[in-house]
Amino acid sequence: MSLFSRKVEQVPCTVEVSHRFEALHAHVRFNDGSVVHPGDEVQVQGPPVLAAWGELIIEDRIATITRANALERLWTRLTGDFEFMELCEFSFSEEMSV
Amino acid sequence: MNMHATTHDELHAEMADKFDTDAMAQESTLLNPRFYTTDFDELDRIDVTPVREEWDKLIGQMKADPNKGHFKKNADWDKVDWDGMEPKLKREFIDFLVSSCTAEFSGCVLYKEMKRRGKNPDICELFNYMARDEARHAGFINDALREAGVAVNLGFLTKAKKYTYFRPKFIYYATYLSEKIGYARYITIYRHLEQHPEQRFHPIFKWFKEWCNDEFSHGEAFALLMRTDPKLTESFANKLWIRFFLTAVYSTMYVRDHARPAFHEALGVDIDWYDQEVFRKTSEIAKQVFPMELDIDHPRWMPNLKRMERAFRKIEAGEKQGGIAGRIAKFGAGAQAAWAFVSLYTIPVKKSTPPASVRLEPAY
Repeated sequence: MSLFSRKVEQVPCTVEVSHRFEALHAHVRFNDGSVVHPGDEVQVQGPPVLAAWGELIIEDRIATITRANALERLWTRLTGDFEFMELCEFSFSEEMSV
Repeated sequence: MNMHATTHDELHAEMADKFDTDAMAQESTLLNPRFYTTDFDELDRIDVTPVREEWDKLIGQMKADPNKGHFKKNADWDKVDWDGMEPKLKREFIDFLVSSCTAEFSGCVLYKEMKRRGKNPDICELFNYMARDEARHAGFINDALREAGVAVNLGFLTKAKKYTYFRPKFIYYATYLSEKIGYARYITIYRHLEQHPEQRFHPIFKWFKEWCNDEFSHGEAFALLMRTDPKLTESFANKLWIRFFLTAVYSTMYVRDHARPAFHEALGVDIDWYDQEVFRKTSEIAKQVFPMELDIDHPRWMPNLKRMERAFRKIEAGEKQGGIAGRIAKFGAGAQAAWAFVSLYTIPVKKSTPPASVRLEPAY
């Protein structure tokens, strides 16, 4: 891993998006067993996966993984913990007053 | 404190039409959860042997899934007069639903990732059930949003997402607290509305009891996990972290709730009373694992919460104002918020000794 430069990988993946009453979720799985590390960036290629109401979409796509460089990885390891508040229902959306 | 990114109105109108026509969406909300990694080897090394008996019982309960049939709309789901709802209340209530949905959704993403990357069968099984519950809750809230004409958009996958990092112990502290405080928040509203049914302006509150029992049992699982390694709650540094998490979560909740005055007024809830009540319940429950509780009756507690809330309002005003003057105002208010946080953090805690048996049942 380089200190400054980022490596880009194209990886086959399966996306699963459920927009149903019984479950609302969206996940990406890398089919070749690729593993994501702190600070890496993942983008699924192609048009947005838009599941209509009541729909479950499971689709094969290609994902671009932009690997973080050593500095970014270190920075994410040091600071990522402070994003925990998102798990709380009362965390902030964009603006404080609505 | 973190501002997570739930962005309203991000999607073009034509996409929204295609996306959810039968809900007649006038507005669309892009869910934008974070993605997480952690130290999976450390997570795999957890050994639940010291709490095996209680662990198996709890996992058995989750597997039996007693709430499976609960999240269905039945005759109790009254018709909601969205058009007749006072606009400010409607805005705040929708914001409440969106942030609840995002929190459930983020929990689902986090738990699913742990389940997928982990190799320890005990841990994978737990995270699998929790991801299931969170997706179910998110689906239920999403349905309430649809009725209000708000479409949730899951198109975020095709946008670039950076993976952030949580240390395993931070996952325990943060998720334990978020699940337990979620329980305390929902049950307090539920019990209040039992006494004042005329103030229940939306049927979703009737579902809060079983819902928060899920939150409660998720919290129990993390309590057991923390018990597998005494250092997590007993070392000097970790005690400071626990204090930090408690202070951060409590003060964020205070600031956030005060930003929704119409919502609480419609419920007939005094926000200061409600928040103190939620802190009290959460602290009482958290004594099961944390060797301390925050002293929320200390003379410095409430004044500094209020100070922090005022500082956040100023930060927001500075942001709206923009320019150099706005930035200076923001910076000053940021310093005030930080000082208020330090004042809260340094209030002496009330020490306690966690009981020998960690497990609790929902009792409020």
